[in-house]
Amino acid sequence: MTRPAKETPSTDIQVAICGSAGEGTIAAGDILRSALAEAGYRIISFDTYPPEIRGFGKCIARLRVTTEQAYSLKQQSDVLIALNDEHAIPHIGEVRDFGAVIYDGHSIAKLPEGGHVSGHLRAGQLPYPVSLRELCEKATGGNRSRNIVALGFLAGVYQLPKDAFLRIITKKFGKKPGVAEQNQAAFETGYTVGEAAFRLDDVVFGAPKRDAATRDVVMINGNAATVRGAVDAGIDCFFGYPITPATSIMERLASEMPKHGKRLLQTEDEISAIAATIGAGYTGARAATATSGPGLSLMQEMLGLGVIAEVPSVVFVSQRGGPSTGMPTKTEQSDLSAAVHGGHGDAQKIVIAPTNVEGCYRCGGKAFEMAEAYQTPVVVLLDLYLSNRYETVQFGARPPFEANCSKPRAKAAPGEPYRRFALTEDFVSPRALPGEPGAMHTITGLEHNELGRPNDQGDMHERMSKKRHEKLKAALKHPDFTHCKRFGDEGRIKVGMLAWGSTFGECLEAMFKARAEGIPCAAMKVVMLSPFPVEPVSAFMDDCDVVLVPEVNYEGQFARLIQGELGRPVVSLARVPGVPLPVDEILETIRRLAASGPRDAARLVRAA
Amino acid sequence: MAAVGKHHVIIGGGISGSQAADTLRTLDPDSRITLITLSRLPVYNRYDLPQVFRGRQDWRDFLVQPPEYYRRSRISLRRATRVANVDATRRIITLAHNEELRYDTLLVASGGRGYLPEELAEFLPLLDSFTSFEDAVTVRRRLPEGGHVIMIGGDMIGLDLARTMVETGHRVTLVAGPQTFWPHRLEAGERKQFLAVLAKMGMQVVESEAHGNIETIEPGAKGMPARRIVFGDNTDLRADSIMAFCGLVPSVEFMLGSGVDIERGLLVSRSLRTTNEAIYAAGDVCQIWDQDEKRYRFYYGWKNVRAMGELAARNIVGGDEPWSSNQDESLRVQENGSLYSPFWEYA
Ligand SMILES: Cc1cc2nc3c(=O)[nH]c(=O)nc-3n(C[C@H](O)[C@H](O)[C@H](O)COP(=O)(O)OP(=O)(O)OC[C@H]3O[C@@H](n4cnc5c(N)ncnc54)[C@H](O)[C@@H]3O)c2cc1C
Repeated sequence: MTRPAKETPSTDIQVAICGSAGEGTIAAGDILRSALAEAGYRIISFDTYPPEIRGFGKCIARLRVTTEQAYSLKQQSDVLIALNDEHAIPHIGEVRDFGAVIYDGHSIAKLPEGGHVSGHLRAGQLPYPVSLRELCEKATGGNRSRNIVALGFLAGVYQLPKDAFLRIITKKFGKKPGVAEQNQAAFETGYTVGEAAFRLDDVVFGAPKRDAATRDVVMINGNAATVRGAVDAGIDCFFGYPITPATSIMERLASEMPKHGKRLLQTEDEISAIAATIGAGYTGARAATATSGPGLSLMQEMLGLGVIAEVPSVVFVSQRGGPSTGMPTKTEQSDLSAAVHGGHGDAQKIVIAPTNVEGCYRCGGKAFEMAEAYQTPVVVLLDLYLSNRYETVQFGARPPFEANCSKPRAKAAPGEPYRRFALTEDFVSPRALPGEPGAMHTITGLEHNELGRPNDQGDMHERMSKKRHEKLKAALKHPDFTHCKRFGDEGRIKVGMLAWGSTFGECLEAMFKARAEGIPCAAMKVVMLSPFPVEPVSAFMDDCDVVLVPEVNYEGQFARLIQGELGRPVVSLARVPGVPLPVDEILETIRRLAASGPRDAARLVRAA
Repeated sequence: MAAVGKHHVIIGGGISGSQAADTLRTLDPDSRITLITLSRLPVYNRYDLPQVFRGRQDWRDFLVQPPEYYRRSRISLRRATRVANVDATRRIITLAHNEELRYDTLLVASGGRGYLPEELAEFLPLLDSFTSFEDAVTVRRRLPEGGHVIMIGGDMIGLDLARTMVETGHRVTLVAGPQTFWPHRLEAGERKQFLAVLAKMGMQVVESEAHGNIETIEPGAKGMPARRIVFGDNTDLRADSIMAFCGLVPSVEFMLGSGVDIERGLLVSRSLRTTNEAIYAAGDVCQIWDQDEKRYRFYYGWKNVRAMGELAARNIVGGDEPWSSNQDESLRVQENGSLYSPFWEYA
């Protein structure tokens, strides 16, 4: 097995920017990550923001800047830029000792005791008070660009490549006359002050890596990568209804698809969206919809139709805190059971879940191949953390997706009726599109025979149910797709982790740390969740004294899925903090399990 | 939950203020203590700063207490924070960033800043400062190996630095004036003798007055050292850096509207209380009544400022002990021929 990248990057700095909605916190984070990615650093970044648009609510942009690829955000930031005292104060604690806190050194409003950031710094943290408002007013005549002054200051203090910032600022604001110039002036002002500031913290940005591997790197978030995958796989039509955090998939497709002569329709609700998607899929189009947990619930009945009628369709589901409206701007992995087992009847479908942004691209495209190849709905499970997380990704020169995966129809003997649901050796029936001469057939939500005609005989239902389940097994060998993969130590290990979705990055980081402490440890990411890759997962479990399953849901849905599929015990670390699982918490659990030995671990497993 | 007692606020994170905070914590365990300093760093020892010339350039090496101390001792350390105003009637302090703090007792230990004679004020941008860790490192970095420094004045703080610079291979020219050897009070004839000792220690000594005093200070011409100083008699000196060490002025601006009595420093009784019962002062900022001399006077030196901080803390929590100093204040020549000042001593 191969191990990913180097374990200790030479630059490994996390910057957090905290402000109020409307203060340009997310914009500053966006400029920072884009500029640093352009300069040759690797980036992982994730923004959190309130459901409201402007005027209140806390926004935080966090980005981890590394020389080598990292897999999750760090628990502690090295630098915090505080654009708003009230919102930033609770986050000062996340700055490590000898890290830096950059804040506005003056408030125009009278502050009560404890109302200013400076009053909350630990003695080991280094303060950088900057007259953000004053500098901004001098540079631009207003105070809208305080965020950019702060960014300039940061860039000046750490001598980050100024040109990259100025280019990104021009790109971002260039469309509005005068705005780019104003922000450039704000940046330059901050940069000059930062450059002159005396450095007291020990935050060091090493030189970015400028080699072939970083030259074509793109800064992209999970939803955008999913869209790119879908477009590269030749998506023909999309039907959707907006819902956080999936909306940006539709928004981005709305601007991308017309460029390729493809169509997108915003439907009146999620039921229409999935119905239209299945309708389009029936005609042979590569069709998709995107939603979140509540939308998935609404789509379940239609997905049943997709399963029984064996119509390809793709559903992107970006999970958020639930149930119901729940916590729409917080991340969670709690729609796994709904995706795998939800709905009525024995309606197994394919469920895949990328673990990083590059994976979003691959799953975003491969989902169409699978839907077509196995004639079924495919659910791609994202989550808010992955949807909104930016990473630097290198895309290949050519899309790695097949344009047509449909099983072709053999030439039929004259007069022989076309059997749309023919029971074949691999359980996949040759597929004809409506309107094909000589291939007239019926499709229906009713149980049917090979011709597609309604048939409610028990043995037919047995055979067709088997067909619909068995054909999916081939998906476990779908070409050029990572169904699951092991990282870390080979052979016998003390603690093995099984993880899915966005949480895998945190598991990987925890594993690196555990191994650095001498704990034999490995982690397996499971991308294909339905059908379940029983064999490789089981082989992995054979090697582990104890298996830990960290995930962001309350019920331990993945742990239950594993136990259901394999009937083997695991230790579940299931929490719903609304944010990614802290690496340190996973690490602490690994330590505890490693220290307890196989017998105690078995006890812990039972206790869990 | 522990009962929260009085809020003791201390303005000044120097030796005096930090000692007071430590003593207050011991004597009044349930109190809240806030220590305010302009510095971005936790309390460090300024007496040690010349050591940057001996290669010590990590601020952590200068700290009086490790960073964890403040959390452990429950001392809220407000760094990079300037007090703008004290409202003694409402017992409210306004910080320059516009935050208000209420206090029950206030100790002003804001020390002093370098005094610059009026005739030199216009040249301030051309002078290097040496009052903070940041200043010290900046000067050290800017000076070339074996670089030349002109020191104007030469109080005992400056001379401590000057001797270190000479010992570390730099050239130092002392432009001596009325503040040389401050705060020592010299007997007649001693000045000349001590200046000769400085020359023997490796400094070049120039009497400012003998050259018609300083006329101007200007940036050095291209390819020349960074600074030039021109005297009234048209002689000049060139150097990589010029610094002025002409004694201290107490930092009392923020106390001007507070109603407490101020002469040069804050006037305090022998128990270190100002004319306001909730406000005490200690260290370089205060003038203490001297019964013998029948005047308010300053007491300098590490031992003194530290002892003042401790005494003020004791009196703040109900004590009534009078100030007394046993600081040796005599400048002398050691057996090895070099100058010795008790003000250069610190623990
Ligand atoms: C480089 C250097 C070397 C020295 N060497 C010697 C020596 O060898 N011998 C000697 O006797 N003396 C020496 N001194 C002088 C010595 O540091 C002082 O005499 C002594 O530290 C006085 O202590 P203090 O606590 O009274 O005030 P200081 O140490 O001056 O501390 C004053 C504190 O008040 C704070 N402050 C001031 N104004 C405000 C405000 N408006 N708001 C908030 N905070 C404020 C400052 O930030 C600082 O924390 C030296 C000074 C320097 C700069």
